[in-house]
This record gives sequence, structure tokens and C-alpha cells, in this order.
Amino acid sequence: MGADSGPGAPAPVPWRKVLYERQPFPDNYVDRRFLEELRRNIRVRQYRYWAVVRETGLIAQQVSCVALFLTLWSCMERGALVPSAVLWVCLACALLGYGLYEILGGSCVRERTRLADLQSATIFLAFTFGFSPVLKTLTESVSTDTVYAMSAVMLLAHLVSFPYAQPSPPGSLSLNAALFGSVCLASRLPGALHTFTMLSCALLVFALWPCLLHRMREKAEWSFPWAAVLVCLAGVGGLGSLWPEGALLLALALLTLTLVCPLLLVHLQRHKDNIHGPWDEAEIREDLSRFLN
Amino acid sequence: MREHGGLHITMVHRKRGHTHAPKTPSSVDTHSSSSTLRHTDHELGMKHRICMVSDFFYPNMGGVESHIYQLSQCLIEKGHKVVIATHAYGDRRGIRYLTSGLKVYYLPLQVMYNQSTATTCFHSLPLLRCVFVRERITIVHAHSSFSAMAHDALFHAKTMGLNTVFTDHSLFGFADLSSVLTNKLLTVSLCDTNHIVCVSYTSKENTVLRAALDPEIVSVIPNAVDPTDFTPDPCRRDNSKVTIVVISRLVYRKGIDLLSGIIPELCGKHPDLCFLIGGEGPKRIVLEEVREKYQLHDRVRLLGALDHKDVRDVLVQGHIFLNTSLTEAFCMAIVEGASCGLQVVSTRVGGIPEVLPDELVTLCEPSVRSLCDGLETVIARIRTGNVASPATIHRKVRTLYTWRNVAERTEKVYNRVCREPVLPFSERLHRLWSQCGAVAGSIFSFFAVISFLFLLLLQWLRPDHLIDVAIDSSGPHSRTGQQLSKKKVKHYTQLCQD
Repeated sequence: MGADSGPGAPAPVPWRKVLYERQPFPDNYVDRRFLEELRRNIRVRQYRYWAVVRETGLIAQQVSCVALFLTLWSCMERGALVPSAVLWVCLACALLGYGLYEILGGSCVRERTRLADLQSATIFLAFTFGFSPVLKTLTESVSTDTVYAMSAVMLLAHLVSFPYAQPSPPGSLSLNAALFGSVCLASRLPGALHTFTMLSCALLVFALWPCLLHRMREKAEWSFPWAAVLVCLAGVGGLGSLWPEGALLLALALLTLTLVCPLLLVHLQRHKDNIHGPWDEAEIREDLSRFLN
Repeated sequence: MREHGGLHITMVHRKRGHTHAPKTPSSVDTHSSSSTLRHTDHELGMKHRICMVSDFFYPNMGGVESHIYQLSQCLIEKGHKVVIATHAYGDRRGIRYLTSGLKVYYLPLQVMYNQSTATTCFHSLPLLRCVFVRERITIVHAHSSFSAMAHDALFHAKTMGLNTVFTDHSLFGFADLSSVLTNKLLTVSLCDTNHIVCVSYTSKENTVLRAALDPEIVSVIPNAVDPTDFTPDPCRRDNSKVTIVVISRLVYRKGIDLLSGIIPELCGKHPDLCFLIGGEGPKRIVLEEVREKYQLHDRVRLLGALDHKDVRDVLVQGHIFLNTSLTEAFCMAIVEGASCGLQVVSTRVGGIPEVLPDELVTLCEPSVRSLCDGLETVIARIRTGNVASPATIHRKVRTLYTWRNVAERTEKVYNRVCREPVLPFSERLHRLWSQCGAVAGSIFSFFAVISFLFLLLLQWLRPDHLIDVAIDSSGPHSRTGQQLSKKKVKHYTQLCQD
């Protein structure tokens, strides 16, 4: 037994995959059973084009949300919108959204009481209102270009780190990046009330809208594509009123995202080559936390 | 060279297909008489000069470290020259001599993470070149994929025209990003290595797939255990209870979560059961929580980190050895447990089914239910006395895996390897480029060229013939070897006279 290179006479005993016996084969012997337990692609999902397109609606609508928010900010900066009007609209939207959320979640057990919701809303609004003069002067010493660059990076980080698989509750990194970006932008507005309005809008768009959308997806599946399309159209339209070329770019980006990327995904599945075998780390398939609870 | 006792002289000259400075031809050796009358007449008498390279060596304790040490000792016993190169451990730097003249170079290379050095493909070339030239090394044997120094040494050895062997001790996945990158680096490292050694058949399949190797150049040589270190002692255990011993690092990979499920289940059903857990790690907190919750303080003992020499004393206190690993290439621990006479219960993962015969081990699926069933079967057998005695088990295990057998098989690998020519430089670049993919192949071909130029610079700055050749402390020309051979020859001639 050893690493001989010459072919030996065929041994009468079959080769066994055991190490504790001295077998009459060289150490580098390759049996025809070599790699017999190799399995390829046993857990590969079959993607269907239109199903994937539906799912990308979430990403597209999030991009449009950001575009909408920027449109709003731009309008307020130019003075095209009065902050008090925007505030009333926000309040109306918030109440509408809350009502919709409650109606759709009728059968679910409530985790928090309505009073608790009211309390947190009051606290948020009060603190934001109280701190808005401070937040307004936050970036006074920073140059405009830096503020714009920072906000752009933050909003990009929000889009990249958004938990598309489980959007409710929104992930901490994405929410914080979005709010930070909106604080940077809001501090560039003319008045404290403007800042407060902007921040309230930011909370609505980035913190509360994903929760409502998720609830809508869970309870009323048919409404999700319509909501996504509506938001995308609003985003493109809003951007178009400011900057037509930007709207065109956004429309192109959304189309690529929704139609071309799923095509790529489905097309590239043929190159998938996952290898499974006895060398894989075993997966613990049970919930072991029951022993500790 | 004179003949000793009628044994043959074998002259072996090796050819090199290189444009480097000419190397000294390989040693012209007879049988070293220290490895005596056991050897048959027609066996090749070639003695090699081997350098084992790895980041992991004494004073670090572990599987790879003891593998390198034991293998080196057995090879020295067979008459080869073995030198070890590793990185400096704290103050321990320079040259140290271990038992039987095993010389260890603790090279001053910066340790980055988890006892592994940084790898830049260049910075260790001058030092390693000095070691290889001084000791007139003919084969470089690197250990462990986790060791950056091992891969560096393989790279430099190929640049210098030496034969290379690599031993892989672990299993790897394929799916996540870090695995993909590591496997690519392994492919680059192994594409022009002469021979690879794996410790189990599953490990061979895994390595062949990871590095896209030809399976003919991969040998399976299992690890071994020193049976004199792990002898049974039935008096040390408490026969009024059934003790289950677990000795492992307390990490996720070793299945400590499964253990945390087994403990409450079994302790609830069997009031005379107790657990003895040795080892340290981040999952210790899970075990402590379970112990706290079910109030098992008197039945579950957590011993903390154990010194290697204390492991046997803990093992002999048990009836059952439990191994819950989620992946293992070759589990030394179960062989050690069986050698101490314990009944072994283990998960069926990786290379474990190949290690012990069915009568010595009970294999279970990696789930709490299956492990509990397996343990219950063994506990029932122990209670009825339907188990072999520890001494019987030890006798069976003693012959299964020995270091001498490992050394003998490794020697065959060396004999085969030094008959092979080392790839010339142009061939090496071509192989890197064609087998390792376009991106990685180009990058590493570039590194190989730079490395070659760096070697030429070093050979010009400090030529090979000006480097002092070290005095052998092991191998056929060592002073200790010669004294030993003189004694043996004297004994033999005395025998002849009688």
C-alpha cells in the first residue's frame, strides 16, 4: 500500500470507504465510487419572470419614494409650497394611512394599544417641533455642496440597506440613513417650520409608509402592484415638474430595474452550480431555543 | 560509501529542468543503520531532507501541531532529516532543538490573526530561502490551509525548484463569499504542487473539488493517536452513575447547541446521569444557562480549558464519549476517547463514519432527537453490562492508527514526489494561467515572475555557495545518527561473532 504510480492487479476485495482497515490499494487510489455522494443544485429555486417583476415593484417604489421626497424638498426650498399646507396634508395622509392600517389588520392581535400609538406620535411631534430650531442651524457652518453630497450618500445608503425581504419594521441602518439625510436637507430650508414639516414628511415616507405597504401586501395582495405603480408614476411626474431630464433618467432606471434585471436573473440561473456532499456543515433544523425558554 | 551488513547501495541523481543556479545533487545514501533489520533488502534507501512548514506549532497546542511533531519524530526515526519552520511565538524566536534532534526555526514574521502570519508572497522569501539552502532541503511539506506561511513556503519552494507536498487538515464549504475566495487561493497554491495529502476520503473529495485537482495526486493518509498517552483506567470512574464526557472547543461548529438540548432531555429521564464538559469557548454561556435553568449544578460540570496532558485524566472518568460536531475532516477526539476505553457516540458528519468500526462507535444524525436515542441505547447497554471492557476496546483501537504507519505512508509519498521533476518556470506560469482562471491566474503569474526576479536578486547579493551549510541534527549525516549507527553496527557484528 502506498503512492505507487503503476497499475496494480485488480484486487479481489472491493474498496471500502474506511480508514481503520489496511486495504490492498495505494493511498492515491481513485475508486469508481469517488464523488458518488456529490449532488448539484438540489435546493435551487425556479424563478418565474412575472413573479420576479412583481417583487421588484418594491425596490422601484422605494426609489420613487426617495425621488418624491426630494421633489417635495425642492418645492419647499423654492417657496412653491407653504409649510402649513404641507403639514395639514401630512396629517391627513397620516390619519388616512393609520385608518387603512387598522382596517386591513382587523384580524391581527394588536401588539400596542391605540393609546400607546397616540403617545409615541405625540412624543415624536413634540420633540421634533421643539428641536426644529436647533436642527435648522445644524449645518450652518457646512458648505452647501457638502450637505448635498452627504444627503445623496445617505439616501443611497438607505436604498442599498433597505430590508426588502422584511420591510416592516424598517431596518435600523436604512431608517437612520434616510432620517439623517433628510435632517441634512431640512436644515437648508428657510424657516424652523419648514424644517419641522420636512422631518414629519420624512418620518411619514421612510418610517410609516413601508409598514403600511407591507400590511397591504399581506392582507390585500391585489393592491400592492397598483400602489407601487402609483408611487412610481408620482415620483417620475414630480421629478418631471422640476427637472425633465431627471424624470427621464428615473423612468429609464425604473424600467431597467423592473423589466431587465428580472430577465437577467432568470437567464443566469442556468449557470448555477451549487455543490453539496457529506463535507457540508450539518444544519440544525430544529428550534433549540425552546430549551432555554 | 561502504556497505553495512550486506545491504545495497542505491545511487539516485535527480534532474532539474531549471535555469537557476545549479543545486547540489541529492544525497547518496545507504540505509541508515538506525532503521535496521526491520527493513527489507529491496526497499529504496533514499533519505530525504524535509522541511515542514506551518504557522501552527509548539507552543501552540492542537491537532495540526501534534500531527507535525509526531510525524517528524517518526520520520527521524526512519533516518530522514526533518527541519520545521514556523513563526516566532512571542519571545520564542530563533532556533530550538526538540527531541531526537528535531530542529525548529522560529522565524520573526509578523502574526496577524489567530496565529497566522500575513501573506504577501515576498516578505518571507529571504528567510525561507536561507533555511532551505542552509539545511539543503529537498522536499518542502506544508500543513494546513489556514496557515498563510505554509502557502508562502509552497510558493517560494516552487520558485527555488524544490519538490512540494501539502497536507490539508480541514473541510471547507463552497457557498459563501469567503469560501469562494479561499478556494481560489487554494487552487492557485495547489495547481503546481507535486502531491497532496488528506486525512480522510471525504476530505480528499472536498479538496479535489475545492482546488480542481487531479485525484491521482491526492493521497489519503489518516491522522493517528499515540495509544500510550490514552490508556484506560476503569478504577477512576464512578460506577454508581453513568458519566458522559465531552471535550471540545465550545463553538458553534462543534454542535454545542445540540448539547444544550441533550442535557435537559437526558438528565430529566435518567437521574443517575452526569456530564463532564471540558473546553472553553463562546458557547459556554449557553451551557451555563441550561444548567442554571434546569438546576443541574451537581450533574453538569464545566471544567474550562484543559491542558493537553490533562485530557486523558478527564476522559478516563467517563463511560461515554460524546461528539456533537457539525463538521469534521477526521475526528481525533473520538479515537482518543475510544483509546481510553469509552463508548463513543457521535454525529454522522464529514469523515467521521470512516474513522471507527461500527462496534466501537454509535453514529447519529445531527439532531437532538437522534443523539438522545443513540445515547439512550448506549446507556441501556452499559446498565445491562452488555459492553466490552475498556481494556478490550483499547487493544482494538491501539492497532488502528499509529504514527509509524502514517510515517511509512508519507515516506512513500516522498519517494514518489522526488522521482517527479519540478515544473520549469515557463511551465509553471502556463499552468497558473490556464488552470486558475483568467483573473487569479494572471495576478499570481505576475507575482511568480516578481518572486523569481527577487530570488535572482537575492542569489546575486548572497550567492548560495557563500551560505554556510548547517550541521545536520537529524538524518543520516547527523552526529547523533552516526553515534547511534556506530553502536548498532557494533551490536550487529557482536551478534555475528556469537
